[in-house]
Amino acid sequence: METTPRDRLTAALSRCCVIAALATLSVAAQAQSTGVAPEAMQMLKASTDFLASQQRFTADTRVTLEIVLKSGQKIEFNSTGHQFVQRPNKLRSERSGDLVEQVFVYDGKSLTLYQPQDKVYAQVAAPGTLEEMLDLAREKYDVVAPFGDLIFKNAYDILMDGVTEGLVVGKAVIEGAVCNHLAFRAPDVDWQIWIQEGAQPLPRRVVITTLDLPNAPQFAVTVTRWNLEPSFDAQTFTFTRQADMKRIELLPR
Amino acid sequence: MSRTRSPKALAFTMVLPLLYLAGVAPDAPVGLTLLQEVHAVVGAPLTPVSVAGVARRTTRRVVVAETSATQAAAASTAATQQQQAATAQQQSATAQQQSATAQQQQAAASRPPGAPAAGAVVTALPAGCKPETKGGVEYQNCGGVYYRAAFQGNNLVYVVQ
Repeated sequence: METTPRDRLTAALSRCCVIAALATLSVAAQAQSTGVAPEAMQMLKASTDFLASQQRFTADTRVTLEIVLKSGQKIEFNSTGHQFVQRPNKLRSERSGDLVEQVFVYDGKSLTLYQPQDKVYAQVAAPGTLEEMLDLAREKYDVVAPFGDLIFKNAYDILMDGVTEGLVVGKAVIEGAVCNHLAFRAPDVDWQIWIQEGAQPLPRRVVITTLDLPNAPQFAVTVTRWNLEPSFDAQTFTFTRQADMKRIELLPR
Repeated sequence: MSRTRSPKALAFTMVLPLLYLAGVAPDAPVGLTLLQEVHAVVGAPLTPVSVAGVARRTTRRVVVAETSATQAAAASTAATQQQQAATAQQQSATAQQQSATAQQQQAAASRPPGAPAAGAVVTALPAGCKPETKGGVEYQNCGGVYYRAAFQGNNLVYVVQ
């Protein structure tokens, strides 16, 4: 079969591409072997166990969220948050950022969601533990508690569910703290976590990459400050309705 | 282990950023066209904020997020049906609500042309709304179309009555 110069060029280019791709794969393979590295699992487990053992703590967070427009353009949104936790049954979570301020309060009996600027709140009865409350909020009302799942005592099991690969990338410094950088893969999601080195293996940053959405948008949270010896007052976990606040319904999902 | 939910339940949500735009005022100063498109996109699936949430994303409700009545009326049938179902639940919640809704259903006959369908959910009110209290519940009267504020998940929305 006769080949034209154009065909030969195409073939040459293809070979080039194949070689380049193989080279890339080879590098990637060195950095990322199949399976979950035991050290990665151990570091994650140490972190989730450590946090589960903390009876009270606060965390200041900074969040970025990417949204992909129909055109494919990515837009990033930013917010900051303050989380207050007292096991087994108290939570306050505040966030403020692009266009909304929202507070989530759980006092062991009810959970309240409110937006001070909009002067509205919704309140529903809640179960007696943080874990049960977070389940209810998510499953019945589609409300995702800020800082929610990390609070679960079995956060490790939740995170590792479906994970096919995991590795220790190396050291990194997040907010001034030396961390171990871990990367995991599960169906449709890549996620990374940076865990503080030393006696307090706290998570300092998490990035979640969604692979089955166009342009793989990311969610990222950095803990700018942990406090494991906070002082809470009577108001921390109490919702006080201001006179001009209106109660609205929390729609079941 | 105190969790009772399925193992596929969401993991690792440290902070929920979801729809910051839900509270956007109708006269939002910056790039409203862009914001409208963002509304539309976030109403489709959101960027998950949890690891397992990626798998669960498809169960998230569709938010009909439009700012003009015409656009809202053109919202997908599926979304409208979902919202109508949600509204039906609300309607059965209290007798007060039933009577208020009945009043509004009567009023619906004289609904302005192009008004959004009852049960539609919007993330911002049209311009020129006035609060009106009926049966102890505050509604927003926007040119004859009544809206009621509610949280849908973490988002402040307005349900067309």
